[in-house]
Amino acid sequence: MAANNAPAAAAAAPAPAVPATPVPRGQVDLVDFIDWSSVECLNQDPSHSIVNALKQGYRDDDGLYVASDSDEQLLIHIPFMQVVKLHSALFKGPEEDGPKTIKLFSNKEHMGFSNVNDYPPSDSLDLSSNHLAESKPVQLKYVKFQNVRSLTIFIEDNQSGSDVSKIQKIALYGTTVDTTNMKDLKKIEEH
Amino acid sequence: MGRTDGPKWAKHPSSLESGPFLEWKAGNITHTPAHFAPDSSRTILLPKPSHPLDGRNHIGGADMVLEATMICIDNSEWMRNGDYAPSRFQAQADAVNLICGAKTQSNPENTVGVMTMAGKGVRVLVTPTSDLGKILACMHGLEVGAEANLAAAIQVAQLALKHRQNKRQQQRIIAFIGSPVNYDKKVLETIGKKLKKNNVALDIVDFGETDDEKPEKLEALISAVNSSDSSHIVHVLPGENALSDVLISTPIFTGEEGGSGFAASAAAAAATGAAGFEFDVDPNVDPELALALRLSMEEERARQEAIAKKAAEESSGAENKDHASSSNTDSVMAEAEPASNAASDDKKDQPKEDDDAQLLQKALAMSMEEGSSGAAAVADAAMAEAAVDDQDLALALQMSVQDAGVSGQADMSKVFEDRSFVTSILNSLPGVDPNDPSVKDLLASLHGQGEQEKKEDKSSDKPEDEKK
Repeated sequence: MAANNAPAAAAAAPAPAVPATPVPRGQVDLVDFIDWSSVECLNQDPSHSIVNALKQGYRDDDGLYVASDSDEQLLIHIPFMQVVKLHSALFKGPEEDGPKTIKLFSNKEHMGFSNVNDYPPSDSLDLSSNHLAESKPVQLKYVKFQNVRSLTIFIEDNQSGSDVSKIQKIALYGTTVDTTNMKDLKKIEEH
Repeated sequence: MGRTDGPKWAKHPSSLESGPFLEWKAGNITHTPAHFAPDSSRTILLPKPSHPLDGRNHIGGADMVLEATMICIDNSEWMRNGDYAPSRFQAQADAVNLICGAKTQSNPENTVGVMTMAGKGVRVLVTPTSDLGKILACMHGLEVGAEANLAAAIQVAQLALKHRQNKRQQQRIIAFIGSPVNYDKKVLETIGKKLKKNNVALDIVDFGETDDEKPEKLEALISAVNSSDSSHIVHVLPGENALSDVLISTPIFTGEEGGSGFAASAAAAAATGAAGFEFDVDPNVDPELALALRLSMEEERARQEAIAKKAAEESSGAENKDHASSSNTDSVMAEAEPASNAASDDKKDQPKEDDDAQLLQKALAMSMEEGSSGAAAVADAAMAEAAVDDQDLALALQMSVQDAGVSGQADMSKVFEDRSFVTSILNSLPGVDPNDPSVKDLLASLHGQGEQEKKEDKSSDKPEDEKK
């Protein structure tokens, strides 16, 4: 598994826009558009923080994962630097403690565990241990994620029902909406 | 309100021992006392902007934590009691002022909010803001009355923190609890777990009433919240010191692992008093005097060093030849050592340097100055510095300097005309017997005349070397 993953990551690293095997056609890895300063994860274990699962490089290391702290739930808030369309998401975790029920909310600021049931989720996933092992992107309800400024991921429970949930990798795939693409701007400046 | 000056004086970098202050000292020593402004020192105490997510990863590291804080004030009837001077409420208000100052200063992006727990229900006076004036202003004219509602207050505070503008800020609640706690332990633990789940840290100042297992209940609350040691509780008994004085040295003030430079320095100042300071003057109290004393000390040191150097030059004028005969640098160093003793006596409180390196450097400088006195001025400080690290290089340098000295040795020859002097040098050389006939011959010929003398002198070096 790990051996299979490493070359894929290596191939993706120099040119992230050119999809390696797991990235769906026509989509890009949205990791470059995350507004890192505002990423928030509630109930994370301080020694196993969300960057371990989200950041390029860290997330491809199976030894690094985000873990829950006081119970099995996690609430991850990911704002983007520009509006995106979200096509699919990838979750990778250990078979035992990996996430099971995942609820995704778009554009919900200030969500906490107390009001997580106040809104209907934009999409809800029920991952099997197969999903986690394969680490293939799960397609989302594309129509629900056409105008995403921020994404809130609520991990409700895990595979084994244990107290600690662990996620090794979260990857989001989609496209940016036609606003000013900061990456293109940079390229023009370079010439 | 004696305590309100706390944040002001604490802005100064405090003890000389603390890291940031030494830095300041090194950088700004030439500044006039007028530059001893709080702001110039503050820039050093400020944390370096870290990676956006670093604050989360390394809680309580060397970097200052970016925080949003809600302070819950107990303004119940219990606060009228006078067992904390001047009254519980006033003592608490002073402590709150101090904490607000510390929090807003430790990081410019920190925000602090204030709320009351009693009176007409829980009330938020100020939502988290970085405007210290706004925070302090809200403390005026607070009414004391009714009973505190701890559970409601903490939950309202959590709500206020949740809606903070800057998501990078960590959340913290500081609760002053001077009235009895009516809630059951279990209720408090449930609240504590909720806080923990929402990444909120909780600091509790337990003072005033102690009936009804209040300390135990609060300890239970803290242990439910505590995650990686970010939450603290402090019990303050009446009578000891002012409430704020006790708090200043606690983790509530200093942050985890004493992370806050401001708070740590303030705490150090409070703890040590003037005793630990250079010249017995607290630089916080009188920065101008401290600076003046230090400058005067530096000048005196420089003066003494100059004298010592001069003395060393004079006394080791003869030493040069000794040096030349490639005997090791020990004798020169031995000569230089007593001369520099006067200076080194005063250096105890200066940053310690490598003594050997210093002496070697001095010896080098001296040998160069003399060896080249008539000829090329090779006293290149850079060379000398480079030589400090490498003894071989140092020796090589000496030799080269020596050669230069030998070639233009007009005044050197005068030195050898003084017989008693040369004998004394020979005496000091290891393995040389001045009574040896060959040496005596040599000396006699030396005493003779000019031109030959140098060649003889050179050849005289060789037998000495061989003897060694």
